[in-house]
Amino acid sequence: MADLTEVDDLEPLFDYRRVQPHNLVFLDDDDTPPIPCPKRTKVLNPAVGKKVGVDIKELEVVDCEEEEEEEEEEDWLPPPPKVMVQKQLVEDSAIKELRLKKQELVSFAKSADDVIRAVEESVKRKLDSSMPAALEAESEKVSKPAVERAKIVVSIQDKGGLKQFRVYADDKFERLFEMYADKVNLDQENLVFCFDGDKIGPEATPASLEMEDNDIIEVHTKKT
Amino acid sequence: MSGGIARGRLAEERKSWRKNHPHGFVAKPETLPDGSVNLMVWHCTIPGKAGTDWEGGFFPLTLHFSEDYPSKPPKCKFPQGFFHPNVYPSGTVCLSILNEDNGWRPAITVKQILVGIQDLLDQPNPADPAQTEGYHLFIQDAAEYKRRVRQQAKQYPALL
Repeated sequence: MADLTEVDDLEPLFDYRRVQPHNLVFLDDDDTPPIPCPKRTKVLNPAVGKKVGVDIKELEVVDCEEEEEEEEEEDWLPPPPKVMVQKQLVEDSAIKELRLKKQELVSFAKSADDVIRAVEESVKRKLDSSMPAALEAESEKVSKPAVERAKIVVSIQDKGGLKQFRVYADDKFERLFEMYADKVNLDQENLVFCFDGDKIGPEATPASLEMEDNDIIEVHTKKT
Repeated sequence: MSGGIARGRLAEERKSWRKNHPHGFVAKPETLPDGSVNLMVWHCTIPGKAGTDWEGGFFPLTLHFSEDYPSKPPKCKFPQGFFHPNVYPSGTVCLSILNEDNGWRPAITVKQILVGIQDLLDQPNPADPAQTEGYHLFIQDAAEYKRRVRQQAKQYPALL
């Protein structure tokens, strides 16, 4: 008898079961919420009936509806949840593995696509740059929209201010210098173009100087 | 890593300088013999202002940044023995905005430093002398001071 009463006394200790529902909630988002609720009520009810009584019952009012509905299930619910949950866990991990694998495969496919595209583009560029000069003029007009030869905006700064020019990154500077000299009506021989304090040779290109968009070239006028 | 902060900021300074800087100025991080770039030391050129005795001179200035930049200002040095009332015999520039305890703010850009030093060239601050020769001539012998400034400008012609 003493054992039995002890068992009865232990029932309040079922509070520990409250811990389980919490775990369950974490493991399964969808299915468990209904389960922990009956457990709480179930655990509390015996305790309430035997010990504390009225006070807690009043507190528990909110759960009453659920109690009534699920009390029928109480009898045989306790054992199943654990088993069920474990099964679900196993299933979930398997599904997760499958999903991960699927994602991996998808990303592989994507990266493969990217590589192919990159190769295609680089081949196009090479073809363009290797075109003979005679064709270039035509190809500039024809293929401008289709194929892009890298362009860069270069600012030329004199004492008066900035002028911006859009040139091809692989175009020699001599062409830009001519354009500029024409524009400012000065003899190109009296102009010195500098980037970062260094004189720019006519053979250099924006690419060879590692210039970026809107980088400044300074013009100095030679004193004669 | 405070060094990371300094280098990050200097990379930004470098980027913005390339796209916008006053005419005649040069500012670039030093390139080491092995071709790598040292962002912590910049070699700059400050042109003397037109219409002043400093005109025609392109004065070399070196900026030494510490790992504490931009909390602390860079040390700015002209060549040793540079003639100016506010330049120490070592070449170090004495300017309020370059003083950690005075006018330096982390937001001050390289461009502002260089323009500030250009202003200082023809507008020395007699209240804060750093060398005796430049200071005494500036105070006592305007004609000789002028002559020395012009002479020094010729000493640093455009490199082109």
